[in-house]
Amino acid sequence: MVKEEEIIPKYWYNIIPDLPRPLPPPRDPQDAEFSRIDLLRSILPHEVLRQQFTIEKYVKIPEEVKEKYLLIGRPTPLMRARGLENFLQTPARIYFKYEGATPTGSHKINTAIPQAYFAKNEGIEHVVTETGAGQWGTAVALAARMYNMKSSIFMVKVSYEQKPMRRSIMQLYGANVYASPTNITEYGRKILEKNPNHPGSLGIAMSEAIEYALKNQHRYLVGSVLDVVLLHQSVIGLETITQLESLGEEADILIGCVGGGSNFGGFVYPFIGNKKGKRYIAVSSAEVPKFSRGEYKYDYPDSAGLLPLVKMITLGNEYVPPPIYAGGLRYHGVAPTLSLLMKEGIVEWREYSEREIFEAAKIFMQTQGIVPAPESAHAIKAVIDEANEAKKNNEKKVIVFNLSGHGLLDLSNYESMMKRWGNSGK
Amino acid sequence: MLVVYMTLGYPDVENFLKFITSLESAGADVLELGIPPKYAKYDGPVIRKSYDRVKTQIKDIWRLMRQVRDSLSIPIVALTYLEDWINELKTFLDKLRENGINGVLFPDLLIDYIDDFEKYDKEIKAIGLKNVIFTSPSVPDLLINKVSRISDLFLYYGVRPTTGIPIPVSLNELITRVRKLVENKLVVGFGLSNDDDIKEALSAGADGIAIGTLFIEEMGKGNLENAIRLVKKFRGLLDEY
Repeated sequence: MVKEEEIIPKYWYNIIPDLPRPLPPPRDPQDAEFSRIDLLRSILPHEVLRQQFTIEKYVKIPEEVKEKYLLIGRPTPLMRARGLENFLQTPARIYFKYEGATPTGSHKINTAIPQAYFAKNEGIEHVVTETGAGQWGTAVALAARMYNMKSSIFMVKVSYEQKPMRRSIMQLYGANVYASPTNITEYGRKILEKNPNHPGSLGIAMSEAIEYALKNQHRYLVGSVLDVVLLHQSVIGLETITQLESLGEEADILIGCVGGGSNFGGFVYPFIGNKKGKRYIAVSSAEVPKFSRGEYKYDYPDSAGLLPLVKMITLGNEYVPPPIYAGGLRYHGVAPTLSLLMKEGIVEWREYSEREIFEAAKIFMQTQGIVPAPESAHAIKAVIDEANEAKKNNEKKVIVFNLSGHGLLDLSNYESMMKRWGNSGK
Repeated sequence: MLVVYMTLGYPDVENFLKFITSLESAGADVLELGIPPKYAKYDGPVIRKSYDRVKTQIKDIWRLMRQVRDSLSIPIVALTYLEDWINELKTFLDKLRENGINGVLFPDLLIDYIDDFEKYDKEIKAIGLKNVIFTSPSVPDLLINKVSRISDLFLYYGVRPTTGIPIPVSLNELITRVRKLVENKLVVGFGLSNDDDIKEALSAGADGIAIGTLFIEEMGKGNLENAIRLVKKFRGLLDEY
């Protein structure tokens, strides 16, 4: 039996040296009046920035970070979904990595902890970020608290109003939470001037957080998309590899949902890098069709264009997403490394509609008892499809997916889905 | 190997030519001559500003290039973006050669034209020009090894995502790793700004350094003498290794 502490890796895994072709570097826009790349030096902790541009394949996890990983319950469990297998009567064996088991309920804490730690190490006392549905903000609020730092979270207004419980958790951890667009930043005021009832967007909240961090000389913590975030999230996949080995299993198919790409990359990249697994499937929402309709081009990660341009699959930084049930999947772009792997055909993709994922989520709740985050329910839908395919061909495939978060704070979304799609049991 | 970068005609033709004329005796081995592009995709703010300044000043880039050639005997490599010349590449390369330029360095060759870089490499060499290839930490190991063998004069390795901005990087680790892959002379650039950076790069196995932003800053302030003094200083640092 492998000891818990030994399942947590000593190093994060970085896919950049293992990519099949050069990763296009971030760049400043044409006729830029200031350098966005230079701006990164003022907003990100120094070590986070170094790791963003590192090409070391393995980056050491500081002991102080490992301690906190243990504290939040890492390694998270790798569970076999026997209830789901029985229900589907599939010969496939289905496993899930349960990232919802952390105190903040999702994988986001994996990178919030090291980023907060590096900021603290550099003498910073206040960190700032944005949040959509609230998972990332909650992770930052807790990570900041763990290192006795203050935190300010710009929460997309529509979520702020619709998800008061997420807001409360952040406040209980000690964070200042603002409904974005706010009137405390220049960018927020500009948006409010045009439309006082603007519902907000992740891009706007991100822009406000960056501006606020810059003005007050705080540091900005980044929740997804950037390479450094995917690096930290690799604890998910590295743990899963060790856990599967101790079970004597080898994964055939790996599946995860994609908002910006951090839980997917963190889960799947260590498998790609170690040449484990045969197929990798990224899943997103048909209502925010970035995989099918996005273009592979240089674009801003944020609406205001304060961050450097990166080459990614994107619907455009000014894309206004519909207010869908899975807040985490509303982002306009896909992390640059994941975009490249998708373009190269190494990672497959799927898009599912709300109705499809609602059915999948219900099956999972009713067979496994866990309420998945609506984001993670996209991965579950793909798992069910693959398991049915295995049944058709009578193949004993091993399917592993990342259950990136639980949905206990998304119950209002599920209630709304029940109203629209009915709640007939499967 | 000391590779000195200067934007063609910066800050004005007279001072530019004075700088160029002093380069050889100050100890430069290669001149990298920046031709202002439409979009300096991978350049930092200082070099971008230098492009803006000369764009309106120079009437005839070819005549000025000829003057540069006539005042120097070290190799001259034109640095510009393939993107700008791709539709008239042969004409452009011919003109470079006619005006005595020895080679080209397209920073976007491996990044934006990765599928066709071998075709362009052949085209450049067929004209009789040298092709200095630009690589960076995000270029996969196998590709670095491959292009290091076809790159002329040396392999250019930019350690940061852009020029002139001191993004924190682990120079020693970056260069130690790439040294093993490079079957050619290895010249390191992009954001090398102080003596410590340069010493670290050389101890880690770089055969040379490429410097630009610092000279542009001095020239921009009208400190021609300082710019030349810096070239001499870097020569001295290199000679210690």
